[in-house]
Amino acid sequence: MIRFWPVLVIIAAFGLPWLPGLPLFWVTLGNEIGIAAIVATGLVILTGIGGMTSFAQASFMGFGAYATAILSTRYGVSPWLGLPAALLASGIAALAIGAITLRLRAHYLALGTLAWSVSLYYLFGTLDLVGRNDGISSIPPLQLAGVKFVDVRQSFTLIALALLASLWASRNLLDSRWGRAIRALRGGSVAAASFGVNIAAARMLAFVYAAVLAGLAGWLFAHLQRAVNPTPFGLNASIEYLLMTVIGGAAQLPGALLGAGLVVIVNDRLQDWLPLLLGHAGNFEVIVFGLLLVLVLQFAPSGLWPLIARRTAATRHTIGTIALPKRATPAPGPALEVSGLRKRFGGLVAVADLTFSLSAREIIGLIGPNGAGKSTSFNLLTGVTKPDAGTVRLAGRDVTGLSAPAMARLGVARSFQHVKLAASMSVIENVVLGAHLRGNASPIAGVFRQDRAEEAALFGEAMRQLERVGLAELADRPATSLALGQQRIVEIARALCLDPSLLLLDEPAAGLRHAEKQALAELLRKLAAEGMAILLVEHDMEFVMNLAARLVVMDFGTRIAEGPPAEVRRNPAVIEAYLGSAA
Amino acid sequence: MPLSRILGVLTVSALALTGAANAEPIRIGLTLSATGPAASLGIPQRNSVALMPKQMSGQDVEYIVLDDASDASKAVANARKLIDENKVDVLIGSSTTPAALAMIDVAAEKHVPMIALAASAAIITPMDDRKHWAFKSPQNDSLMAEAIAAHMEKAGVKSVAFIGFNDAYGDGWLAEFTPAAARHHVTITTTEKYARPDTSVTGQVLKMIASKPEAVLVAGAGTPAALPQKTLRERGFTGVIYQTHGVANNDFLRVGGKDVEGTILPSGPILVAAQLPDSNPIKAVALDYITRYDAANGAGSVNNFGAHAYDAMLMIQGAVPAALAAGKPGTPEFRAGLRAGLEGLHNVTLDHGVTTMSPTDHNGFDERARVMVTVKDGHWALLP
Amino acid sequence: MDLSILLILLQDGIVNGAVYALVALCLVLVFAVTRIILIPQGEFVSFAALTYAVLDTGVAPASLYLLCGLGAAAFLRSCWTRRGSELLWLALETLILPAIVTLITIWLAPLHLGVAVQAILAIAITAPLAPYLYRLAYQPLAEASVLVLLIASVGAHLALGGIGLLVFGPEGSRGPAFTSAIFHLGDQTISGQSLWIVALTAASLTGLYLFFEFTLLGAALRATAVNRLGARLVGIRTSQSGLIAFTLAGLLGALSGVLIAPLTTIYYDGGFLIGLKGFVAAIIGALASTPIAVVAALGVGVVESFSSFWASAFKEVIVFTLIIPVLLWRSLRHQTTEDEE
Repeated sequence: MIRFWPVLVIIAAFGLPWLPGLPLFWVTLGNEIGIAAIVATGLVILTGIGGMTSFAQASFMGFGAYATAILSTRYGVSPWLGLPAALLASGIAALAIGAITLRLRAHYLALGTLAWSVSLYYLFGTLDLVGRNDGISSIPPLQLAGVKFVDVRQSFTLIALALLASLWASRNLLDSRWGRAIRALRGGSVAAASFGVNIAAARMLAFVYAAVLAGLAGWLFAHLQRAVNPTPFGLNASIEYLLMTVIGGAAQLPGALLGAGLVVIVNDRLQDWLPLLLGHAGNFEVIVFGLLLVLVLQFAPSGLWPLIARRTAATRHTIGTIALPKRATPAPGPALEVSGLRKRFGGLVAVADLTFSLSAREIIGLIGPNGAGKSTSFNLLTGVTKPDAGTVRLAGRDVTGLSAPAMARLGVARSFQHVKLAASMSVIENVVLGAHLRGNASPIAGVFRQDRAEEAALFGEAMRQLERVGLAELADRPATSLALGQQRIVEIARALCLDPSLLLLDEPAAGLRHAEKQALAELLRKLAAEGMAILLVEHDMEFVMNLAARLVVMDFGTRIAEGPPAEVRRNPAVIEAYLGSAA
Repeated sequence: MPLSRILGVLTVSALALTGAANAEPIRIGLTLSATGPAASLGIPQRNSVALMPKQMSGQDVEYIVLDDASDASKAVANARKLIDENKVDVLIGSSTTPAALAMIDVAAEKHVPMIALAASAAIITPMDDRKHWAFKSPQNDSLMAEAIAAHMEKAGVKSVAFIGFNDAYGDGWLAEFTPAAARHHVTITTTEKYARPDTSVTGQVLKMIASKPEAVLVAGAGTPAALPQKTLRERGFTGVIYQTHGVANNDFLRVGGKDVEGTILPSGPILVAAQLPDSNPIKAVALDYITRYDAANGAGSVNNFGAHAYDAMLMIQGAVPAALAAGKPGTPEFRAGLRAGLEGLHNVTLDHGVTTMSPTDHNGFDERARVMVTVKDGHWALLP
Repeated sequence: MDLSILLILLQDGIVNGAVYALVALCLVLVFAVTRIILIPQGEFVSFAALTYAVLDTGVAPASLYLLCGLGAAAFLRSCWTRRGSELLWLALETLILPAIVTLITIWLAPLHLGVAVQAILAIAITAPLAPYLYRLAYQPLAEASVLVLLIASVGAHLALGGIGLLVFGPEGSRGPAFTSAIFHLGDQTISGQSLWIVALTAASLTGLYLFFEFTLLGAALRATAVNRLGARLVGIRTSQSGLIAFTLAGLLGALSGVLIAPLTTIYYDGGFLIGLKGFVAAIIGALASTPIAVVAALGVGVVESFSSFWASAFKEVIVFTLIIPVLLWRSLRHQTTEDEE
């Protein structure tokens, strides 16, 4: 039964509107909901999942609607050919607008799109090309085998299919290599970048994808309404789509449909009921709607869908058995050479003239009191932060100042002091993000499900790494439901998925029980024996002294000692640093 | 919301459903811009519904009013709702041109006549299959634009600067006034735009003054149209200022104060109904409406926009006998009969003029539908 | 274009910009303290302006209903989380205060006591709406994300807009000028009202600066803005800071409304566009830096004024597209390294 749901939905799309006794106006409302839900689906991906708030979705809808309206009224082009034109128009508009706006972060981006929205609305109203404020009317209806789609019931089928396609494509996208990159954007873009995700590209992808869905809605709107003008593409419309998404539950695809349905139906019912309650003297709909909106948010800040479906079942992934190609085992010799590394933040020198080197097959520990500059050093070595001075060499090659994704491409993988796992993803989905660079399926292949073989291989690799760290049985659990110590181990598995030649681990043993620590030490020794170079930041002295061949001790941003553990333990400067700061 | 009221609503809805079994009333559906940017048009229109008769030719009449928030897609949704759910026989609305234009297709698809309350002649011209079902009660803006241009020529005005709303209203006026001005040998020195809620039009006004026009035409509706005029006077412009019939309400006079003295505008005769000669048939009709509107909504609250809605009702009233001959209310025959009846209206007196429709003219107004008016001592005065 | 036109445009731009600056200031303040993007700020401006205009006709304005109603609603919303002496304060703020303001207004309105009294009454009627709104809509959402707070703002804006239409009607009004004086400076004329606007804006800015730098309450607000958690740990309640920020926003919003009412016609929904332009300035000030926001607001006013001269049809397009390069420049300068939120 479950397997046949798409067939059932398609039958419903064709049959439902013709049910005897079904009020025709319900079908009209259904159409309105469907078009809005398509736009809102894009917003789920962009805002709810990607974390980018856009106030310009109605404008992108306008690009699509105007494109097909102009082609079909002025050039007599078939409305069906208007579809690719509409998608292209909104996509290109999003590319152009995104190129100059997407650099903005958080609320600046939201307000930047708000400015675009106002500006484009007035532009639509001023340009002769799009018929100014009166817009374009007499747009031909869609036609298939001589049948014109003028009846709302025919439109319903078309809209339902379009919505279904949008939801299907969006689900596929989210369950693909690039989809995971988008899902990792919110609250975790540094981690994603450290595994080679091109953050700018992932943001642009979400932005363009959402705009293309809005363009699809615009195309439907133009040919079903058969008249377009600027008002449906203004700021108020954009705000309405956004609030539908948030009310429905911005982080889940079904939330788009739920939100669109609720907002449209509630508005319609208010229009009927309020005059009966309050009389015809005033218009209370908008007041009551505004109040309801605030109330709903107070009771369900994450939207209503999570209240209905408390737990979304974990997506089932095919675990492939074909092994991914591996990086050549690094040659013995220096894997990492750091000299004179320096970074200041304002007046504070976080790292000053740090120099050390690390060979393949070697484990060394970077220790020092809190605030000594260890984590900043990690960020400098992995390209997250750019150093002010000094050089970093990787297997003899100068890599100073390279970006985080570039470092990942060269085989540098890391874990984080503050665990950075995407809360919305399961353990294995987080781990497979580490293998981002080992696949090459495009977002389009993802949308159309052409990436399944590669996906199976990537998930196979992720599963192998999870088995290696001993967390295979937790693969489908939500990542953040694990104990903090286990989450650190998940980060190691993710790092291993990159197939690194240099592994940087930030406090991997924190929060682990004794047996777990021993297992971890065993694993790290084995990795080193296979040819990996490992740099550890660790506070657990027993753990690090047993494991590392050498220790580099930092204080106030500089190296104060270096050498085998036994030697460092006796170093007066080290004792001073630890006792001085600990006391 | 108390439970008893919810129950009350449900009972009323249930009654409405069962009541449908009895003799079908004539149902008139209105979608009006009672909120949003065009609320100053939609609210008096909505208020006028309360004045409309409950019976026509012995048949019960039911009015269903919906708000479209000045949004075209909402107006279309409302039109579908009124037709599909409320089974209306005729649509009135919407208040703005883009919304009315968007509704035409629904009316044509469903074979329900509609009477638009917006000004643009584009709603009913050029006549084709779609517009077959569309009528409109306000004067075409071309008629009004022609009147202004003619007045300018007569007054010896050779050049005029134009400033209009940055929306469909301003666009529509510019499109109609440009050819009218050319016909009457008036040069347009510059065309400026401003947004309805703008707080300053100093830039536009300076530009207009710099173009040295003899007169200025402001194309705005309601109180926002007073701002350019006040700024013009503030900046020392002494020429004649023309306004459009969109300003014809008392709020304009209240906000404009002494700066709008001497303004000249075309208007439906209702604005100066009391000053019309008794021989004018419009006088009695308009005074009746004014008296009843003011009684219901407060003295001096009447305005032209509300009368457009009332006129739409008067048109329907005139067409109902023909429609009843064609079929019972609620049937396609009745609606077709109503459409034909509207098209056949002959010398029917409304608040805004006397209409005689034809298959090609779905507005039917002539010169009697506009008078030239000026502001004198804070009141509207009929110009000879 | 000659020099005199240029100067007139500049003057016009600065006067409008001063009002945008007051709005921008409130937006920056409220965002910094509460992370709320206060879309309804525009409503406070237009409600105060319209209330001021109604008072001039000698009638008690219908916005008194709004004041009392919103106060009572805020009381009900807040009262089940409070008890004892707190409840007394709450009642004082949300029930007694509106009652007193209403009585005074009904008493004074028909007496035509002049613009100063009318202005103070208009502010007294409008300003408390902001803290009531905070209690009603935002306080229960204090821990929600910026996006949810933003949508709550949209809800509050929609509801207030609808109420505004009901209370004030669709047509606009103008208020009486504080002074009819006109100054001549060469061939330039400067109206006394413009000077009032610029002077009161400057005074408010100075007052705010002093408030933040030299009072304990101001310091508490700054602390909350810098670090919400930290502020709470040292005993500053975020809800308290939010309430203060909203009260200031209400006061300044009402003040801008009263200031602009004599210069132009204000409509029930006119505040939204003023608010949006204030937003443009606030964004340029990056919602954090007050001086930049003020300068940007003046800039927006001037750009608007000049573009309405050169290309009035494209004025909004110009004003709203102008911020994009500024935003871009800012974001290029501040490379973000840490994660968002």
